[in-house]
Amino acid sequence: MNKLYLGGVVFTALMLLLTFLSVGTTKGGLNDDIVNMLAIAGAVALVIITVFVVIKYVRQMQVDSASGELADENWDGIGEYKNELPMGWAVMFLLTMIWGMWYFTIGYPVNAYSQVGEYNEDTAAHNTKFEAKYKGLTGDKLVEMGESVFLAECKVCHGINADGIDGKAANLNKRINAASVKYVIEHGSNYKLLGTDMPMPDRNGLFNANTGALITDAEIETVSAYVANGMKGDGAEIFVGACSSCHGPDGKGMEFVAPNLAGYTPALVANILNNGKKGAIGVMPKFDRLNDKQKEAVGAYITNISK
Amino acid sequence: MFHWLEKHPFFFAVGVFVVIAFAGLIEILPNFAQASRPVIGTAPYSTLELAGRHVYIKNSCNACHSQLVRPFKSETDRYGHYSLSGEYAYDRPFLWGSKRTGPDLMRVGNYRTTDWHENHMKNPASVVPGSIMPAYKWLFTNSADVDTVYAEQLTVAKHFAVPYNQEVPMKDGSVKNVKMANSVAEARSLALEEAKVVAADMKDQDVKDAVARGEIPEIVALIAYMNSLK
Repeated sequence: MNKLYLGGVVFTALMLLLTFLSVGTTKGGLNDDIVNMLAIAGAVALVIITVFVVIKYVRQMQVDSASGELADENWDGIGEYKNELPMGWAVMFLLTMIWGMWYFTIGYPVNAYSQVGEYNEDTAAHNTKFEAKYKGLTGDKLVEMGESVFLAECKVCHGINADGIDGKAANLNKRINAASVKYVIEHGSNYKLLGTDMPMPDRNGLFNANTGALITDAEIETVSAYVANGMKGDGAEIFVGACSSCHGPDGKGMEFVAPNLAGYTPALVANILNNGKKGAIGVMPKFDRLNDKQKEAVGAYITNISK
Repeated sequence: MFHWLEKHPFFFAVGVFVVIAFAGLIEILPNFAQASRPVIGTAPYSTLELAGRHVYIKNSCNACHSQLVRPFKSETDRYGHYSLSGEYAYDRPFLWGSKRTGPDLMRVGNYRTTDWHENHMKNPASVVPGSIMPAYKWLFTNSADVDTVYAEQLTVAKHFAVPYNQEVPMKDGSVKNVKMANSVAEARSLALEEAKVVAADMKDQDVKDAVARGEIPEIVALIAYMNSLK
């Protein structure tokens, strides 16, 4: 046995000792944990294999001499032997070529990563989960969801308390204010509040059946105050004459004809979210990117706070 | 041939470069050309919108606001559809930004309105409690620079074939024709026409008076630009 083998054995013993010292004495080291034992066994195997493979090649460098037929090429005196292709290498090379053809034609095009693809999967998964989780949501829980959507999407204009921030947007704690009623009577409305194209005429198309004439400025003032006051006070007879044929005698609206003026309904809110609107205050953009359940929830929340 | 290449490392390197560069060309360029084409619904900026874009750049809005919605559910919930390359076809330079101190503005025109911007620019905390955005009061008194806008329009129409005065397809199947003036004076009157429409929805009497006098305060241009971001 020469010095090289001796050195190898000593080195191996040293490494094994080091491995034992670093894990064997620590808490959770050489206990019954199978993963720990496997890791340590792997480390031991690695040390032994590495040392003896290194020794093999160092020995070869020490004792081997070059022989064989030289190739024609010669680079500054450094030549190359004409060796046969090693069989294992040649097989691996061919297999790699076959794998390459598969990867370029099928593997990559079919399985390629796509950022938008991942987005679509995420969105579909989320929507399915959302649908399953909140399908039967009603009552207080629905109002709660509506509040969270309101705080995320609506509060920037309508304010945290839905009071419209000093007239910057509609105050949703009550159905409607006099200025908005007046604006609609004077300008008409076609904002799909019912979800359909059903225009309300402007003042030139609004007859007061009581007087048989077009609605007058004074009547507009009175009836606006009446509607804004929650269908109370002066102006009931003007409302009956000019408005109730579409909005109903109690102002609660009629399906497919006119929206409810006495209070918010989830359907009315959903239509505004789908189509946006323009009124006395300004334009409200549509929020149709909310999903149906969220729109229903916002409707429930607003109906609830405006009671 | 191979023997020769092995003996001439410089030419070998050139050959390797050519082969790899060719692969890159056929792989990257066609896709790049396709993706940078304007998508349907993307129109050139009108005179006033472009003036607003200049105001946006001048006040360095892009330091705090991005214009790039990434394809993540959390982002598209908040800002709308993720951005496509072709949507930036007429942005010179693009204003993607690299930091969101404030929210993304890529599609702000879909969910904010003229009067909201007016309130917000005057006093951000009045509509967004706790907002750290500063007020931009000078936008209400400074006038927008339409002359520079016209110079830019002429340049991009001539050298980059931006389709001004041509029909471009919109998402709903209609076509849009964005006008570009024939002279500086005409550009000013075009911008003023647009400014009147925006000012009609605003509340500030000084701004309304200024537009009635024929001036264009920067805020009007900026709001026109914000509203065009969809």
